Amino acid sequence: MKRILIPAMLAIGFVATAKVVTIQLPVETASYKAGAGVELANSQCLACHSADYASMQPPKPRDFWTAEVAKMKGKYAAPIPDDQTNALIAYFSRSYGTDTNAASTVAFDSTILDPQTLATKMGCLNCHNVDKKVIGPAYQDVAAKYAHDANAMQRVREQITRGGSGKWGTVPMPAYTIMTDAQVDSLANWVLSQKAK
Amino acid sequence: MPNSSDSSAQSRRAFLRNAAIAAAGLTAAPLLAQSVKLPFANGDRELVRYPQKRPLIRLTTRPPQLETPFSVFNEGAITPNDAFFVRYHLAGVPTSINSDTYRVEIKGSVNSPLSLSLHDLRKFEAKEVVAVLQCSGNSRGFVTPRVGGGQLGNGAMGNAHWKGVPLKAILAKAGIKAGAKQVTFDGLDKPVVEKTPDFVKALDVDQANDGEVMLAYEMNGQELPVLNGFPLRLIVPGYFGTYWVKHVNDITVIDEVLNNFWMNPAYRIPDNDCACVEPGTTPKTTVPIKRYNVRSFITSLQDGAEVKAGRAIELKGIAFDGGSGIREVVVSSNNGKWTPTKLGKDLGKYSFREWHARWTPSKPGDYILKVCATNNANQMQPETASWNPSGYMRSVIETVKIKAV
Repeated sequence: MKRILIPAMLAIGFVATAKVVTIQLPVETASYKAGAGVELANSQCLACHSADYASMQPPKPRDFWTAEVAKMKGKYAAPIPDDQTNALIAYFSRSYGTDTNAASTVAFDSTILDPQTLATKMGCLNCHNVDKKVIGPAYQDVAAKYAHDANAMQRVREQITRGGSGKWGTVPMPAYTIMTDAQVDSLANWVLSQKAK
Repeated sequence: MPNSSDSSAQSRRAFLRNAAIAAAGLTAAPLLAQSVKLPFANGDRELVRYPQKRPLIRLTTRPPQLETPFSVFNEGAITPNDAFFVRYHLAGVPTSINSDTYRVEIKGSVNSPLSLSLHDLRKFEAKEVVAVLQCSGNSRGFVTPRVGGGQLGNGAMGNAHWKGVPLKAILAKAGIKAGAKQVTFDGLDKPVVEKTPDFVKALDVDQANDGEVMLAYEMNGQELPVLNGFPLRLIVPGYFGTYWVKHVNDITVIDEVLNNFWMNPAYRIPDNDCACVEPGTTPKTTVPIKRYNVRSFITSLQDGAEVKAGRAIELKGIAFDGGSGIREVVVSSNNGKWTPTKLGKDLGKYSFREWHARWTPSKPGDYILKVCATNNANQMQPETASWNPSGYMRSVIETVKIKAV
């Protein structure tokens, strides 16, 4: 009986020793619908909750999504930059609401090249921290992993622009294609330059 | 016997095969995914197996919210641990808990702050209660006009046999100081963003001391599943689930009324008898949500079921309320006269109460079956649903539409 039970228990992500009970939650599969503004939704919303929080909502007009975004900013302290608020409301009203003609107002400033400003504006720092794991790995750990990899720059660029598979945890990183090549280079360089202190 | 052992060997093999696929890699998971459609717009849900759980209806992935498939409620008055619903507010869910080093702190306006291990808690005289845990937003998907929030069917409820320590005994040991107003409860789950309000709830001192509120370390005779609050959960019999703080490790006595996001504006209802307002309007004043109102369900038949005309069947179901206990459950067919049902075993005033009745569809056709409970405080379910902006407190008489052939 034990030989049956043990693999079954591991398979459903439950391990108990005398002192410690550890569970592993399933890898996340929900993602936001494609469309103008989806990258802002990915970067500003997914750090705290999965995409099914939007897809389960009843069909509602723009007012509903305006109130939701305001609640996330005002009550849950979501660090949504003010200049992205309207684009997020438009994305959700169009993709999950009844305002199917909501105009896209997405405009990401392509002149920003400072990596820390980029990381803040793109919401990278919602999921990543320089020196500790949050949702995604610490940038220092990424830099350490690729320290002796000749293709490090390419790998990190691809992680940003194509997204990840969830190899660092149960939440896969979405793809970010809204930035220019120069902006992606700036971010990737910065990530790889993080050294543990 | 050979047949039954064959089929159990088969199902065990099927289970192991699925388990092996799941263990080998998650690329295979979509092949196993089953889905259900809850009967309202955007009601498509996956059935997903989580740790220590059978496949449950997934409302959200992170933080996890899982709903019990309604057929489970037909299996008995007690909801099995592996079928019990899951509701977290914040994505910082504890996934590794050391029960040896676990401590619950009792502090604030007390004479002797305490730090109790699970071993310490088991030295207090144990208390047991069978009590329903129902999410404030249970059945929100059925609210008309629809409102935002977790779009649940009727499966965010469950009934369990809880064992633990009365909070009163612990507070007595710590000694509450004069002038204290409330007791706050915080658990291991944490927000992702530091400034997001941590999930902390409060009860008035009188209620915390009522002898019924307790810290449970057992659920249906076992340790709690992690996703239901292992190793310690606050039990507030008769009160909506928002107060039943999971993984509780911080109990603080305060001299004021807690006014955080989770007490105000979240989890509040209109300040009137029906907890309702005209649909689409905003209540002038609100109060924290409190006790369950009366509810009853038919569990033996779900919408769309077919039965044989002219043949008697047993209708079965459950009823519960916020703690006065169920006095009577009646059923009706096609809006005819209400007929009494037989109540099942009384497991206590906070428990699901099973009911059953014989019923014969006299001829082929469509049937509308209704069930209505009355509690010992003479409160009865209403014919029409009331409305409030958060979609709480649904208690309308439930209807099941079936066909006799």
